[in-house]
Amino acid sequence: MLEIQQVSFAYPGHAPALKNVSLSIQAGEFIGLAGRNGSGKTTLTRLMVGLGKPASGQVMLDGKPAKDGGPAVMARSVGYVFQNPDRQIFRDTVASEVAYGPEQMDWSDDERQAAVDDALAMTGLIEVAQAYPRGLARSFRQRIAIASALALKPRLLILDEPTSGQDAEEKKQLMQLLGKLNGQGIGVILVTHDMEMLLEHTRRTVVLHQGEKVYDGPTQELFADPAHDVAAWGLRVPDVAAIAAKFAKITGAVRSVEELAASINNQLGGKTDEKSGASV
Amino acid sequence: MKSLAPLCNLLLTIAVSVWTVLIWDPASLAAMLAVQIALLAYAGQLRKLLKGLFGLLMVAAFFSVIQLPFDVAVPIAVASGLKMMVMTVAVLLMLGTTRLPSLTAALVSQVKIPYEYAFMFTSALRFMPDFIAESHAVREAQICRGYVQSRNPLKRIVAYAALVEPMVLRAITRSETMAMSLELRGFGGVRRTFTQQIAFAGRDYLVLALIVVITAAVIRYR
Repeated sequence: MLEIQQVSFAYPGHAPALKNVSLSIQAGEFIGLAGRNGSGKTTLTRLMVGLGKPASGQVMLDGKPAKDGGPAVMARSVGYVFQNPDRQIFRDTVASEVAYGPEQMDWSDDERQAAVDDALAMTGLIEVAQAYPRGLARSFRQRIAIASALALKPRLLILDEPTSGQDAEEKKQLMQLLGKLNGQGIGVILVTHDMEMLLEHTRRTVVLHQGEKVYDGPTQELFADPAHDVAAWGLRVPDVAAIAAKFAKITGAVRSVEELAASINNQLGGKTDEKSGASV
Repeated sequence: MKSLAPLCNLLLTIAVSVWTVLIWDPASLAAMLAVQIALLAYAGQLRKLLKGLFGLLMVAAFFSVIQLPFDVAVPIAVASGLKMMVMTVAVLLMLGTTRLPSLTAALVSQVKIPYEYAFMFTSALRFMPDFIAESHAVREAQICRGYVQSRNPLKRIVAYAALVEPMVLRAITRSETMAMSLELRGFGGVRRTFTQQIAFAGRDYLVLALIVVITAAVIRYR
């Protein structure tokens, strides 16, 4: 669906932010994008939506150069959710805020309304549809930003550190929402520094280091293979992966504490309640 | 200019503005502008200001041209545009070569302006680049939701609401946060001190003497 071909980019007066990065993103993938601050993650995602032009190489959407459309047109295919939702919220109700994007498109009233209703339903915002957006909690404002992007019916959603400023429960709910959207066929690219989240929710991870792609493969393999110098790339092996690595023969590959517990329990001959994940 | 005392830099900026008001010769004004641009380059500020300077040049050119249909002589119209540029570049030069906390300290300690007013002045200056960066970020966020600048001026003005409203709301929130953080750090105390070095050195007195001489010469020969 989206192809990044040998892309390089540099901000004026600075060292190259991206060096010859190539990436192929298929429809419906759930990809993590990781790396230390300044590694080029945000630059890469900005180029994906046309918020910048590569110095060399190109971004292709469905086999056509993305630069032909520009970001406003790209938004119909690739939604971008910024880290800070307050930079875009300006209307007096959640529903009208979500409707801003569809209003920019040449859609009929019915199509527009349906797009807004769908986006609100997908993000669980129907109950607060008439609330004042800025009066809601950060987690809701982040959902509004996601709903705003979804209202344009993109096939791929890019989220730049969407869980920043949220507590554990809010993070969990947001990741459940992203999992649900991904289950409905919407591709997700998650830019994050949260390694637990990366391991638990993404199937594929791309790591950037000093503007270069240093890893692109299964997330579990990234942390399981000692040949990967994740510390040098500014990453950290999640505790659950570190424990699983030490007891590999017992646990096998696991992605979360629940999976680890279930695996150990299974080895001990116990059963696991499918609903709660607890040992029985 | 970076090595001059902040007050000396401020006085130099005011002096340049006074000279600019008094001088009507386009060649002299152009020479002043050339010196300023050379100083900007020397201070390492030219590259990042190049785009802004080009925009300023366009505004100045427009300002000059718009006077011509009203029977204003060409040299006067050109001088008006140049005056605008020289004054603006003088302020940019000062901002690019003076640390704002030092300027605040100079305004309070040497000019005896109440701290609250000096702080307000320098904070407003400090907010300008932040505000520009914020407007850029807001614009990008809205572009990603389909915002397009219409060619129709009326539609364009209406569409600006999508950019202006988040910026204003963010600015209010930020100013509230800043006010709170200042109060928590003792803003408004009875007596305060500054850590910045703002005392005049020999080169500052030399610049002041030059300012007096040049101002006298400008008044005498204009």
